[in-house]
Amino acid sequence: MSLIRQVLCRATPTMQFTARWASSQDIAPIDLDKALARPEDVEQRNKLSGKITVPVAVNLSPISGVPEEHVKERRVRIHIPPKNAMQSGTDNINTWQIDFDNRERWENPLMGWASTGDPLSNMNVQFGSKEEAITYCERNGWRYYVDGELKEKKERVKNYGVNFAWNKRTRVSTK
Amino acid sequence: MIRAPLVKALGALGSPTHQIASRAVRTSAVVAQTPAKAPEKIEVFVDDIPVKVLPGTTVLQAAAEIGVEIPRFCYHERLAVAGNCRMCLVEVEKSPKPVAACAMPVMKGWRIKTNSDLTRKAREGVMEFLLMNHPLDCPICDQGGECDLQDQAMAFGSDRSRFTDINYTGKRAVEDKDIGPLVKTVMTRCIHCTRCVRFASEIAGVDDLGTTGRGNDMQIGTYVEKLFLTELSGNVIDLCPVGALTNKPYSFVARPWEIRKVSSIDVLDAVGSNIVVSTRTNEVLRILPRENEDVNEEWLADKSRFACDGLKRQRLIAPMVRMPNGELQSVEWEGALIAVAKAVRNANGQVAGVAGQLADVEAMVALKDLVNRLGGENLVTEQDFIKGSGIDVRSSYLLNSTIAGLETADAVLLVGTNPRYEAPLINTRLRKAYVHNELQIASIGPNIDLSYQHENLGADASLIKDVCSGSHAFSKVLEGAKKPAIIIGADLLARPDGAAIHATISEYCQKLKKPDWNAFNVLHNSASQVGAFDVGYQPGLQRALQGQPKVLFLLNADSGKLTRDQLPKDCFVVYIGSHGDNGASIADAVLPGAAYTEKQAIYVNTEGRAQQTLPGVSPPGMAREDWKILRALSEIVGKPLAYDTLDELRSRLDDIAPHLTRLGELVPASNSDASAQTTPNKSISGGAIDVKLKELRDYFMTDAISRASPTMAKCISAVNKQQRQNEEAKQSAAI
Repeated sequence: MSLIRQVLCRATPTMQFTARWASSQDIAPIDLDKALARPEDVEQRNKLSGKITVPVAVNLSPISGVPEEHVKERRVRIHIPPKNAMQSGTDNINTWQIDFDNRERWENPLMGWASTGDPLSNMNVQFGSKEEAITYCERNGWRYYVDGELKEKKERVKNYGVNFAWNKRTRVSTK
Repeated sequence: MIRAPLVKALGALGSPTHQIASRAVRTSAVVAQTPAKAPEKIEVFVDDIPVKVLPGTTVLQAAAEIGVEIPRFCYHERLAVAGNCRMCLVEVEKSPKPVAACAMPVMKGWRIKTNSDLTRKAREGVMEFLLMNHPLDCPICDQGGECDLQDQAMAFGSDRSRFTDINYTGKRAVEDKDIGPLVKTVMTRCIHCTRCVRFASEIAGVDDLGTTGRGNDMQIGTYVEKLFLTELSGNVIDLCPVGALTNKPYSFVARPWEIRKVSSIDVLDAVGSNIVVSTRTNEVLRILPRENEDVNEEWLADKSRFACDGLKRQRLIAPMVRMPNGELQSVEWEGALIAVAKAVRNANGQVAGVAGQLADVEAMVALKDLVNRLGGENLVTEQDFIKGSGIDVRSSYLLNSTIAGLETADAVLLVGTNPRYEAPLINTRLRKAYVHNELQIASIGPNIDLSYQHENLGADASLIKDVCSGSHAFSKVLEGAKKPAIIIGADLLARPDGAAIHATISEYCQKLKKPDWNAFNVLHNSASQVGAFDVGYQPGLQRALQGQPKVLFLLNADSGKLTRDQLPKDCFVVYIGSHGDNGASIADAVLPGAAYTEKQAIYVNTEGRAQQTLPGVSPPGMAREDWKILRALSEIVGKPLAYDTLDELRSRLDDIAPHLTRLGELVPASNSDASAQTTPNKSISGGAIDVKLKELRDYFMTDAISRASPTMAKCISAVNKQQRQNEEAKQSAAI
């Protein structure tokens, strides 16, 4: 539920922007440049405006600078981070996240810190939805798999009174 | 705002619906007898956001619906409401006092303010009282960094302290308790949320913990000095919102921000609990449960949680070959694989394989493909099961009611199984149904303490026939139940008359069957068993020995059932596995494999759910993933397997059984006609039914990893000590 809310919050700035843009369109003053332009200029300007749609899937990996080894050999896990069993807070778990396959780590002999040869092990990117994460992986040329689904929470009836029920096994003997 | 019921409002208008409405009121007595309709949802406002909830929902739950989290200490989703920490106080409009959100059901049209001045002041006050009696020892506290009190003091507490100890009397202090080798207590830190008390009495079913004294003198403890010994004791560590109960083997080992968390699967029993493996510098430090409503909820059994130190001991770190003098000598991979390949070539197809308790599906498929290519047919599991055609139908070896489904059962018969120690988290489901669903339970087998009341019908095997023929009193209960279930222990089916027991019960379960409900359940105790049957392994060691194998592959087969005497003299035994245990001791060649925290591998749990482990650390020394060892060996033998990567192997799994790669999903067994097969001999020979794991001390060491774990050894000695003390107390009482 709060995930939807987050997504909505994320979406609002763009919506506000469109609204403002639309209102300024209503009272557009006469643009001198546009009014005085030659037909070929108008045509050129129309061509340049608007979005450019690239029909094929984008693969950024040749120009992203990520070594080939870390594109072809890696496998990305797209998942929702699990709740820490030691705590009851749930604020950080309503997001999708990508993780790379785990590689060897060792204790650094100098300081005793944890070392790794894996440049991607600390790359922790969060996404609002599974689809965003998939698009991101596809653009970067990583193999990926989606682990886990967003599950509906089970509705539970919580009732203080059952502790004192006289004919149910929920009656509490130990306080 | 006044919200008149719609019916009343319409009635005032005199519309035709008025008549219908009044008729509805008149017929309400009749309606009460028909099945209850889902109650209408009521609308409340949390921070002015409207939310519709069922009547009886608490304020805290209503707020959670729209993602507003109210701070809490004593409230826990899976425990009864206690309402004693007062941290969840919130303001409700027109209410004179703040209300405890965790215990107060919402009323129609309530406006709840979770961030108003009054609410914040209430929280600040509660926090001040809690901190007044809480030591300032966060720097030396193991909970530091993942402490609810720490976080909530930062978020909701006051920015200054009014605690001045003018008489230098010191803060309140409580003596620590010794409640066992797993849970460390620092009772001064306790804030009396009583989550541990409620867990022990509701979930674990052991009324050992409780509170004594009142007010400032209140203490949590066992009253008399005794150990808190249950198979679920580790969960109180997770539940404790402060550092009063912490993990003893993990104490002072690491801070939460230093560790990496890898989501994985537990394989030490057949439940397939979801876990998080915490690692640092290539070392598994601790294991925590991961929430999965369908499998383990958010609990974890003690063996699964604490046996992780067994992953560092008794490990095989180099390939070994037995020298002519009878000693195992460490060699390089090349030498070991060539030695095995030589033996395999000389065997002329007399090759067999045995999969043990911890074998993963990938390795079992690789071994099966290799043995089949070499001309061998005998691939068996170490754990015995029914003989004959019993396992041709998938539903005949699964827990068909599903783990989550057992929670809704209303009559259960346990036959030759002790779920409390064979699968503690299935036992918690049964207990949950016992408490909340009025489940009626009976057992055939030895009379054991299952943590809930049950009727022991006796131990004689002929009782199975009585129940299944409908002549026993409990048959009436099963037949009258809406969701009956019969759970058979896997060990029971290994008896000579196992097939007859299996056939009798599965036939009876056909009668008990309901739409969407299969009453027939087998409770396995090894994580590999269902996966092995799914990919075509046969049960029982005898079948492998009958072929007089010249080469025998043991894949994690460590139970010690197989001895050198049973094998032909010239048999070359190859052991592939992670620990130097029973299997490695009889092997001629030892190929070190990876443990479950070191490989990406699929395991299928007892209900048939395929789940995968993920590697948290890399295998020690020269050890490699099991399927890779078999792949390399196949190359040297000259019969290369058709897969080089895990993805290719997974697509091979997909060819064999598509459900194996649908991870996390439960694919229902397609054919539930388990009794359709013909059984040659349907007579159950009498004799007492026994279970292997009767007491807590039997529970701790059941496989190669837990046998290597020093913590598990400490648990056993603690149980023994407790029992000695109990006996001494009894004797002195008698004198």
